[in-house]
Amino acid sequence: MPVMFINDQPVDTGEHRTVLQVALANGFYVPHFCWHPELSIVGNCRVCAVEQEGRGVGIACNMPVAEGLRIQTDSEAVRTQRKAMLQFILLNHPVDCGICDKAGECTLQDYHYAYNGEPARSHEPKLHSTKFFPLSERIVLDNERCILCSRCVRFTREISKSNVLGMEQRGDGMRVRPVEDRTLDDDPYSDNVVDLCPVGALLSRSFQYQARVWYLEPTPSVCPGCARGCTVQLWQRKREWRLKGLDARHNERILRVTPLENPRVNGAWICNKGRDLGAFFERPRAVQPMLKGRPVSLSAAIDAARNLVRGAGRRVALVSSWGSNEELRAFRNVLADGFTSFVKADHRPVEGEVIEDDLLIRADKNPNTHAAQALFGHAPADIPEDTELVLVWGEGADFAGLPRGAKIVHLGAWLQPENGYADVFIPVSIQTERHGHYTNFEGVVSAFEPCRGRPDGVIDAETLFPLLAAPTGSDA
Amino acid sequence: MTGRKVLMDFLVTDDSHTLAAYRARGGYEALGKALEAMRPEDVTREIVDSGIQGRGGAAFPAGRKWQGIDPHDGQPHYLIANADEGEPGTFKDRWVLEHDPHALLESMLLASYALGVRHAFVYIRGEYDRPWRRLDAAVEEAYAEGLFGENILGSGFSCDLFVFRGAGAYVCGEASSLLGSIEGTRAYPRNRPPRMTVRGLYQAPTVVNNVETLASVAWIVRNGAQAFREIGTEKSPGTRLISVSGHVARPGVYEVELGYSWAKFLHEDCGGLLGNKALKAVIPGGISSQVLTGKDAKVLTPGAVEGLTLDHEVLRAAGSSLGSGGMIVIAEGTCMVRLLQIMLRFYHHESCGQCTPCREGTGWMHRIIDRIVAGEGRPEDIDTLYHVARYNDGTTICGLGDAAGYAATAMLDNFRDEFEYFIEHGRSKFGGNLECR
Repeated sequence: MPVMFINDQPVDTGEHRTVLQVALANGFYVPHFCWHPELSIVGNCRVCAVEQEGRGVGIACNMPVAEGLRIQTDSEAVRTQRKAMLQFILLNHPVDCGICDKAGECTLQDYHYAYNGEPARSHEPKLHSTKFFPLSERIVLDNERCILCSRCVRFTREISKSNVLGMEQRGDGMRVRPVEDRTLDDDPYSDNVVDLCPVGALLSRSFQYQARVWYLEPTPSVCPGCARGCTVQLWQRKREWRLKGLDARHNERILRVTPLENPRVNGAWICNKGRDLGAFFERPRAVQPMLKGRPVSLSAAIDAARNLVRGAGRRVALVSSWGSNEELRAFRNVLADGFTSFVKADHRPVEGEVIEDDLLIRADKNPNTHAAQALFGHAPADIPEDTELVLVWGEGADFAGLPRGAKIVHLGAWLQPENGYADVFIPVSIQTERHGHYTNFEGVVSAFEPCRGRPDGVIDAETLFPLLAAPTGSDA
Repeated sequence: MTGRKVLMDFLVTDDSHTLAAYRARGGYEALGKALEAMRPEDVTREIVDSGIQGRGGAAFPAGRKWQGIDPHDGQPHYLIANADEGEPGTFKDRWVLEHDPHALLESMLLASYALGVRHAFVYIRGEYDRPWRRLDAAVEEAYAEGLFGENILGSGFSCDLFVFRGAGAYVCGEASSLLGSIEGTRAYPRNRPPRMTVRGLYQAPTVVNNVETLASVAWIVRNGAQAFREIGTEKSPGTRLISVSGHVARPGVYEVELGYSWAKFLHEDCGGLLGNKALKAVIPGGISSQVLTGKDAKVLTPGAVEGLTLDHEVLRAAGSSLGSGGMIVIAEGTCMVRLLQIMLRFYHHESCGQCTPCREGTGWMHRIIDRIVAGEGRPEDIDTLYHVARYNDGTTICGLGDAAGYAATAMLDNFRDEFEYFIEHGRSKFGGNLECR
């Protein structure tokens, strides 16, 4: 293993090939804009300056590792050069942090305070450029804030491979633009460029002016949009910053969704469908237990369901591929013996959606099919005509196709017409309201955590199943 | 006369650029000799021994560059003649392309043979029309006689040549940027490492040489490295094509033996300054080389620029360089502030925009000098110009930013009083004069 020296301390270079990687891996922070671990090296921001003893200052991102290399990351020469580079970057930057959504998590802002901190040296008027250039229905571009690091351009070339973005003009008139007549709508991963952007040049329209980021906190979760099960972060207002005057729904709203970096599943990216999870989870919820559409109390509904389960002859269960590992295990442990169980695809691809690609998106649009099939088999649903009871767990069942004589117990989370058709309807919780795990199509298990309370009248499926199996008369 | 000749050793006539005329003066003999009696390594050895330095501006030994390539490593290699002569004040390669295109072609064949190149390119700037037509005609002639293509002169060696016309960006003259232009991507200079002789055009080892450098190869192979070494000085062998412009009686392209006296060149060969004015300054090698004054403080020889000789070492010691050989002569009475304004406008316009310091810095300097010329300069502007120039030096991928900085610093060093006068009085000390009246 080659050994080099950073700030006079020996470090093992390991597998790394550049000085920047070695420095970051060993806890020596070197500031950088254009370099990103998943993208190619362009070395254009010139901020990652380090001093190689005997050879002067160079950029760390393109400096190859060598045995015995001696690097200083914070020498006088490095500090002054970094300052000068930040002066250059800020030369035509509008510094409109007060109205910029990136403020608070902006790399340029952080570096300015950490490494420069001086007022502008220039007195020239700033150059102006396009504000709010629409790149797609989802993203706007502020060319004045752009520092031309080209991360977004490289992302569309190297990761999403849509090749939508390019550079136009040259010199300080250079601008990021979509190529020819295309837009970023062509790219199902486009929103990643918003995270990649080190400044506030690329802005998500759905998050624009919604909140200052320092009022927000993330909850780790798993995207249920497909069998990949990307780990994500759901961002909401911090508890202490929730406003009494505001409707609880607004206080609890999921304002944005970002990837939770995870090399085993999704790397640093998620697709646009994952970005829209907030809206998905905010569909109208079903909170009223019902018997044939007649509202009843939760305990009455559970009693009715239990009686149906006990009294029926042939029983079939359509198991939700959205159930967590814990729920699926609970079902198998306490109920499954009395049922013929089939795994149901709760969601199928909708029109216009990307079915499958080489990067992340999978054709199976359910998060936990892998775990469900491991417990209940791969067989497609084949419900005999003499079935007396069907337990429908989750969305996506074809009620009209169920046997005419069968009673239906439906466990659902969303407000749908079918809910009133079932003999018993019991509202269950969704993943933002409970802990749990999903197993993705490769068998990798990821955890999600609750980020808001369960509505009244709603029960966790994991709690419900033992109740359905319990002897009559026990506490509901 | 300006000493011994390597390239301009014939009389230019209406048909001296044709293949027949080139053959008549001994052309393509070196190719025959090399293909018959020399191994590729021998050709490279000749070039190394000749000590020829790159004629494009950096004066890097051409032989050392060639040694970066192993002709037998089984990879494809590429050779590119850089004819994107964009440096303001430089038009020497144009002479080669117009009047001696076959010297370039024969040399490229020799170089291709030495480097194991199957496909060679000439990257010629789009603005060069007659040079392009002459070159293109020469390529046709050479193909017609079997000098390019498969199995050249029955030797088993094959080589094809492509002439690629640029679209007018100065930065494409930078060797790695030129590769992008040929590949059809944005012409951005590339980070080193890797060097181009490791990974260049289409990711293959590539040698990019200036037209004048390459054109001398045929002469060196024909006459031997020793003959070449006898010309010029010990450390700067050979000759340079110098394109002279500015306030001079007889501007044009001259071949000058390295080590030739500058005073003699300027006053005898070029006919002295226009209107017999005094010499104020010289930009010796294109605007990216530092300006020297008539009586330069940094000049080691006492007296003036005119005490210098034209060779790489002397000019380096004087704080400038022979650069691309584009000599701009400036007479007394010229406004250096306005001149710097023009130079900085050029760099600002031509910065490719890739690296932060150059993208922002060239524009910054341009806006400052514009403001000074508009009569709104401030005393701190000079310091700011120095600051910007300082942090463009060595902080970018290619040399464009450095060059803009050198231009500004050398002007400020040598003519600071003019800048101070302009800032203080809001007008030029010399009436904003750029012409020689």
